[in-house]
Amino acid sequence: MRHKQSNQLNSWLDCVLSGLRNDEERVANIMGSTAKRWKKFTPLFLLMLPGLAYLIVNNYLPMFGMIIAFKDINFSKGILGSDWVGLKNFEYLFKTSDAFIITRNTILYNASFIVVNTIGAIGLAILLNEIRQKFFQRFYQSVIILPHLISMVVVSYLVYALLSSETGLINKTILPWFGAEPIAWYSSKEYWPYILTVVNIWKGIGYLSVVYLASIISIDPEYYEAATLDGATKWQQIRTITIPLIMPVITMMTLLAIGRIFYSDFGLFYQVPMDSGILSETTNVIDTYVYRALMNLGDIGMSSAAGVYQSIVGFVLVLLSNYAVRKFSKENALF
Amino acid sequence: MTRKHGWIGGLLAIPLLLAACSSNNGSNEAAGPNSGGSTSAASDGAGEPYELTMAYFTLGSVPKDQLLIQDELNKITKAKLNTTVKLLPISISTWQNQINLMLTSNEKLDLMPILGNTYANQVAKGQLVELDELLAKHGTGILEALGQDYASAAMINGKTYAVPSVRDLAQSYGFQIRKDLVDKYNLNLGQVKELEDLEPILKTIKDNEPNMIPLVNQAGGSPFSDTFSTRDSLGDDMGVLLNNGQDLKVVNWFETEEYAATLKLMREWYKAGYIGKDAVTNKESTSDQIKGGKGAGNLANMKPGYDVQESRQAGMPIVSVEMMPPVAKTSTVTNIMWGIAKNSDKPERALQFLNLMYTDKDIVNLLDWGIEGKHYVKVSDNVIDYPQGVTAGNVGYAGTGWLFGNQFLSYIFKGDDEQLWEKMKEFNTNAIKSKALGFTFDSTSVKTEFAAVSNVLSQYRLALECGALDPDKVLPEFIKKLKDAGIDKIIAEKQKQLDAWAAANGK
Repeated sequence: MRHKQSNQLNSWLDCVLSGLRNDEERVANIMGSTAKRWKKFTPLFLLMLPGLAYLIVNNYLPMFGMIIAFKDINFSKGILGSDWVGLKNFEYLFKTSDAFIITRNTILYNASFIVVNTIGAIGLAILLNEIRQKFFQRFYQSVIILPHLISMVVVSYLVYALLSSETGLINKTILPWFGAEPIAWYSSKEYWPYILTVVNIWKGIGYLSVVYLASIISIDPEYYEAATLDGATKWQQIRTITIPLIMPVITMMTLLAIGRIFYSDFGLFYQVPMDSGILSETTNVIDTYVYRALMNLGDIGMSSAAGVYQSIVGFVLVLLSNYAVRKFSKENALF
Repeated sequence: MTRKHGWIGGLLAIPLLLAACSSNNGSNEAAGPNSGGSTSAASDGAGEPYELTMAYFTLGSVPKDQLLIQDELNKITKAKLNTTVKLLPISISTWQNQINLMLTSNEKLDLMPILGNTYANQVAKGQLVELDELLAKHGTGILEALGQDYASAAMINGKTYAVPSVRDLAQSYGFQIRKDLVDKYNLNLGQVKELEDLEPILKTIKDNEPNMIPLVNQAGGSPFSDTFSTRDSLGDDMGVLLNNGQDLKVVNWFETEEYAATLKLMREWYKAGYIGKDAVTNKESTSDQIKGGKGAGNLANMKPGYDVQESRQAGMPIVSVEMMPPVAKTSTVTNIMWGIAKNSDKPERALQFLNLMYTDKDIVNLLDWGIEGKHYVKVSDNVIDYPQGVTAGNVGYAGTGWLFGNQFLSYIFKGDDEQLWEKMKEFNTNAIKSKALGFTFDSTSVKTEFAAVSNVLSQYRLALECGALDPDKVLPEFIKKLKDAGIDKIIAEKQKQLDAWAAANGK
């Protein structure tokens, strides 16, 4: 059944792709006739229009705001009328080790999230694929994807219910079982790299594993049948059939994640540690830093400076990761 | 097939329904102000109609009759100023964030209370309207109510950007606790003078009421820092005057022995369970915690009639002990002020309304106590009480008296001292006065350091002051970070400005 479905999908894709190819050829033939070309492509341009408008309004227009980072904003003079101050707004970032800490945290957290989540999600997808009873497969799928649908604010209180010192499950029930002393989680920064990673896996793994499961399902079962006849163990099947065949999906998902490595999940880093200042050394990432700078200092010049810093480092990082990807496999690179 | 279509049809219908609902709302809203507008145009209002937006903070949750108060208020302001006022209460725990957001994003905002610790910064950024001219023209009532000294206490570089509310302009510090606990365990509050003296009381409560936190803290605030103080913080605690500002030498508060000793005490209390283990992440006000039976007492800024005020807030009898005599500093005066946001379209109108808040007994009492007959009844000319069946616990509105303009115009609540306002005036005049009273620090020239130090403070301070961290280990680290961030430069600049101010004012 599954096999049939995927075959259908493939033939449909082939059909669409060949159609496109034919179109290209035809386009090459009628290059001369502009009017015809317009007629041909107007619907496509129209389709592109909303997306383009969104991109311009949402991603390009705000770039104008970058000048705020170089100004001493005075509301009575307006944005353009305020005085230029050069790089003065950036000084406070580098005055302390803040810039280093938030950059380090952002990159290390996201890098470890990519690695841990990918490995975990593939493992989970393979396990799910092995479940033969339909009911249980559906049941487990739903259970693991559920956290993905919960808001971070709710997640933060779930975590609080575990970690709170007065009422938390861990401090009140689990640690006493082992005769251990309660731990003040919200003022001990050393635990948070692990807590945040666990929370992130718990929340993100379901979604990712469903993506991988979809690609595992589309693998032709004949491979497995042949392997079983040859006496291959499950482990060998996984290593030599499943993983290589879903490699393109893994590469793509990882690349997408690397492209976003400089954007951290604000809810995770702000809500889950309950905005506890003393944890900031291990929980502050660039997004939360920019937010706090604006909210606590109320200085849009300085918080824009932090925002510009994020954009610049993020840009460099995308270039670097793209460069690395090109070396690894050219067709997967973004540009 | 048909089933599928029906499903899609249903989906398509949802936006239509939503659109229908929203358009209904729209027309309703549009009808409201219009009908109001036509009546007011006939009355002799001052100029065209205008809606003022007045943001302010609430200490507990927003009262349920909030909108009734607004309607009632608008009847008065419509007649006097042809103005309606939109009340925008914001919880104190999110106040700073919200107001910063409103100011920076240029949202509609006219009047707002200004807290002393952000005042100078807001002025430096040009977020507040300069008031001197407006005050002379429309605000004579405000100036009269405050008196020249206090009106000028908020000047920055000789200009006024905000006016203090008329209330207790000095502060005494002390400890408040549920009265039933005092009676039950025979606690002796009379002996308490120093923080250490609280220890036996806290211990008794901890031993006998294991589920109660003996000393609670304000949401996002330390148990003692703002509520038990021997220093003049000069607005922001980055460089303070010790001994209530009796000499004009600016020092680093976080390096003093007094600070270290207090942290040590807090650490002991935290370990002993006198301070909540979750104090750092606490998101509830002290009165809500006491009201909810979670907490027993807290350190507080006090003034005449304090017990009665707090009992009303907490909905149960509260007693308190004064641990330090009243002191007046710039921060106690500029603590709560009113200013006009740069966002305001009609600053004159905002000031005219503000003037009413300092002169009009009806408006003050409406904002402080609510509607006569519904939220209070008059017992005698100047004394009020709850109507029958209404208690502190279920009253639909309770305002914050010291916030809304001139508290001395407010009715005295039954049970309060009828001479309360006379005593308060006396309290204000007799307070120990910091020598730096009237000085406000302008941080513009050390903006970078100010921002960096603010970040360090928000990182360390709360956890240290709640006792959640060991000061022996963390305090030196904290001090080092402060120095790296440039606190010494701020202190030097502050000393310079203070010396110049002292010379100019003959102190």
